[in-house]
This record gives sequence, C-alpha cells and structure tokens, in this order.
Amino acid sequence: MTTATETTTAAGPLDGIRLSFGGVLNSEWIKLHSLRSTMWCLGLVILLSVGFSALVAGVLHLQNPGAIPATNAASLLVQSSTIGVNFTQLVAAVLGVLVISGEYSTGMIRSTFTAVPGRLGAYFGKLIVLAVVVFVVSIVSLGISSLVATGILNARGVNVDLTRSDVLLPLLGGAGYLALVAILAFAFGAIIRSSAGGIAAILGTLLVLPVALQVVAGLTNATWVSNVASFLPSASGGQLYAFVQPNAPAPASGVVALDATTGGLVLAAWVIVGVVIGAVLIKRRDV
Amino acid sequence: MIEIEGLTKRYGPKLAVDDVTFTVRPGIVTGFLGPNGAGKSTTMRMIVGLDKPTAGHALVDGKPYAKHPAPLHEVGALLEAKAVHTGRTAFNHLRALAATHGIPKSRVHDVIAMTGLESVANKRVGGFSLGMGERLGIAAALLGDPHTLILDEPVNGLDPEGVRWVREFCRYLASEGRTVFISSHLMSEMSQTADHLIVLGRGRVLADAPISDVIAGATRRVVRVRTPQVQALTAALAGPDITVTSFDDGALEVSGVDAARIGDIAAASGLPLHELTPVDASLEEAYLELTQDEVEYHSEVTR
Repeated sequence: MTTATETTTAAGPLDGIRLSFGGVLNSEWIKLHSLRSTMWCLGLVILLSVGFSALVAGVLHLQNPGAIPATNAASLLVQSSTIGVNFTQLVAAVLGVLVISGEYSTGMIRSTFTAVPGRLGAYFGKLIVLAVVVFVVSIVSLGISSLVATGILNARGVNVDLTRSDVLLPLLGGAGYLALVAILAFAFGAIIRSSAGGIAAILGTLLVLPVALQVVAGLTNATWVSNVASFLPSASGGQLYAFVQPNAPAPASGVVALDATTGGLVLAAWVIVGVVIGAVLIKRRDV
Repeated sequence: MIEIEGLTKRYGPKLAVDDVTFTVRPGIVTGFLGPNGAGKSTTMRMIVGLDKPTAGHALVDGKPYAKHPAPLHEVGALLEAKAVHTGRTAFNHLRALAATHGIPKSRVHDVIAMTGLESVANKRVGGFSLGMGERLGIAAALLGDPHTLILDEPVNGLDPEGVRWVREFCRYLASEGRTVFISSHLMSEMSQTADHLIVLGRGRVLADAPISDVIAGATRRVVRVRTPQVQALTAALAGPDITVTSFDDGALEVSGVDAARIGDIAAASGLPLHELTPVDASLEEAYLELTQDEVEYHSEVTR
C-alpha cells in the first residue's frame, strides 16, 4: 500500500502551455480541413458555381447581342455568374450543419469540450473558421464563374464589363450570402445536434418555406403573405447578389421590397438569433 | 487531487449520483468501482464539466476544471464512450486537440509512440478496433502531460498485453506523483491496479478505503468445518456473535470465530475434525456483497 503524499509532479516540458482562442481557431482549422466531407463540399461549391455559370452564359437567349445596352449586359453577367448560388447555398448549408452535428454524432464533441471547457470558445472558433473558409471559397468560385461567364458572353458578341461596381458588388454579396447561410446552418446544427435533423431544418427553411408561402400567397392573393416571404433567409439574403436595376419601378403600395442593405440586415438578424440560441444551448446542455 | 463534495446529478426522477463526497489523492492509483449504471461515468463527466451537477461541486487541484488556464495540462480524461470523429485520422485528431493548448507536434508523436499507435496513426479512426480506439483515447488523455488522469474503463477492449500495459502505466504515473483515477465494473481488475478504492452503487459511495480494508471490512470470514459429530460441535461452539450454518454435504460454515479457536474448542470437547479451512471471501465476493446490499435496500424502499 503506497502512502499518499502531497507531491506535485516534476516540472515538464509542457508547463508553459495555455488554452488560447488562437489555439482553438488553429484546432478548428485542422479539424475542418482534415475531413474528406469538407473537401467534397468545397469542391462541389466551385464545380456547381462555375458549371452553372458556363451553362447559363452559353444558352441565354440573345437577340442582336451587339446592341445590348451596357446596363442590361451587366445584368446578364451578374445573373449568369451568380446562378450557381441557388445550388451552392445547399452545399454551404450542409457543410455548416455537419461541422457541429458531426461532432455530436461521433462523440467528438466530448473531446472538444474537454479541451475547451468554456465551450463558447470552441463554438465561436468553429463558426469563425467555417465562415471564413466558406467566404473565401465562394469568392474564388464566384470569381472563376464571372470570368468564365465574361469570356462566354464576349465570345457570343455581348459587350460585358466585369469591373463595373454593379457587377462586383453582387459577386461579393453572393460570397457573403453563402457564408451567412453556412453560419445559420451551423446554428441549426448546434441547436438540433443531429446531422439529418439539422440538414432537414435548414433546407426546409431555405427551400420549402418560400415555396409553401408562395403557394399560399398565390391562392389567397394576400399581400401580407408575400411580404412575410420576402423576410425569409433565402429571399432577403438573395438581395445581396441580385443585380440592381438603376430605374426599377417602385413597388406597389403595401408590398415590401428589400434591397441589398435591408435584405442583408434581415438575413444577419436571422443568423444572430440562431447563433445566440445555439450558444445558450451549447453552454447549458450536458454532452 | 480531485475533491468532490455533495455531488448530485438528477435525470428527471432518477438520481444518477446521490450526494457523493470523496477525495482522490495524488501519488496513488484510486479505483472507482461499481456495477454498470452506478453513476461512475456521470461522476467523471461532472469532474471535467461535460455534465453539470444538480448540486455540489468537483474541484481539481483546488479549482473547477474549467477555471484552469491549461485544462489539458491539469486533467487528461478518457471517457467511456468513443469521443473521436470517425472520419479523421488518429494523428489529425490528436493534432487538433493539441492545437487548442499550443502543444507542439513533437508531443503528438510522443503520445502516439507511447500508446503504440505508430502503424495506424494515419488511418481514419472509423476503421479502428475497440482496443485501438481505447489506445487513442489514452493517447489523447496524455497529450497535455496532465497532473491528474481520469480513465473510464480504460482496459475495455484491450488484449491481455494492453491490459497489463495500462496497469503498469497507471502505477508508473502515480509513482511520479500524479493523481490517477480509474473506473471499472470488475473488482478483479481493480485489485491488480488500485491502491485505494471508492465503491459506488446506485449513485452513492458504499466504500472509500484502502483496497485491503475494503476486503477485510466488507466480508465476514468463515471457516469451513467437517466433523462426524455435527450436533455436538455446534453445541460446543455456541456463543454470542458466532453463527454456524450447516450444508447438505455435511460441511459447516462457522463465522465469528477463527480456525484456531474452533480447533481448540473441538480438542477440549474431544470432538474429531475432518476439515478445518479458513475461507477468505475474494475481492469479487466482497464487492458483490457491498453492491448486493445496496440493490436490496433500494428494492425494499421503492416497492
């Protein structure tokens, strides 16, 4: 029987180590890029974005392409460059959910929260790494998409200019939209803690809700229903990458029309509410 | 050092851990023993803050685990369920955990070597056997060179060589002055590893003592006696605190008096003895007796 002594262990080489937020960010970056599913998702974002841009720019119906005014040409360029966002948002959403739900389904979350017992550091570390990676990959994919679309439209005789601010801003907005969708999905994943449930919830919010409201609005002809629909994440966030017509007609009275700024703020509000609920639950629940 | 005071965890109507108080001291291996469902894992999870106590608290070296500036340097924990993303390689798993504390990559290689995982370090964890998963869990626990190790069923799924390695490693870590706290539902396992034993049953501490005291205290020692004159010997032995149980095969089990005294009494009465065998209850029996009582007690109360 060994007697208990109040000895402390001898000084080791790791005595200077500290848990730090920088370390947590580094850890989350290692975690994100060391999974194949992440690489598949990010590869798919680039592939879908560029592929759909090339397709749309190639098959757009053009009448007398040489005579299309500059503003309309810019609109065509933005539409064909950002068309892929409709699809890549689904990939960004799936990735956002998996980043956190994958840890719950495998038990990894226990290792994560043992290393970062404050939990919120790991939660926000994950969120930041996810948002930055999705934003950067989206910028790259939209950049390639717009170059491809420019080349194809030019070859078809349309005089397009990629450097116009009303072209560049929607491209930037598209990347911002995808990053925000990924964060919203991440919050859903944190709240629901299951991959299937989280993905179903975010895809339902992005895809099914707008269609359901559209059907109701069409049947009832109620303005308020379509007004509600324009505050959904996909509709409000969609303003971020839409081409702004300089002389667009004013909306009919009583109809809400969001622009890039207000639409972006509405989506940001969704994201903040989701992230705060996720943070409270992450902090409170047992794992 | 782990100090637990009044720790309680309630899941709905069920008390998983019921007002538990004990201290795990450095320099020795402390075994945490109890049947499945006794509340061992829940207690361990509360120490590292994965579960929040309903009442009471757990301190590691004087502070709640989460308040330490380098938690992984304070406690290395291997918790019962697998806690690894199956899609990541063992090396990347350890590297990601190490990164949170700025632990150098060389240490990751060290713990991989210590746990014998070199050949599978770059394989994805999803394909690991139970034993390899257990080794990876131990590697992760060692990553921060912790003062305190909390290992929940560490020999689960290990081959005999791995089991011996864990035992020796735990004793070595304790000899360095670390606090080593390991759980098991097998008494035989604890008897070969632990110096001190905390026995948990139905969420409550049933015993908290050096392992030798647990065996001595929890069991009555009996002496098996055979004699052709059963009735005469039974009468001769009669006394306060002495019980004699007879069995169909003619053997008697006597408790409350030792073998030497039984021999003396028999000789004094002129009774022949054919067998006189002291029977020490095994650790396993001691443990069963402890937890059996607890189960029966609760059954009486609830039904």
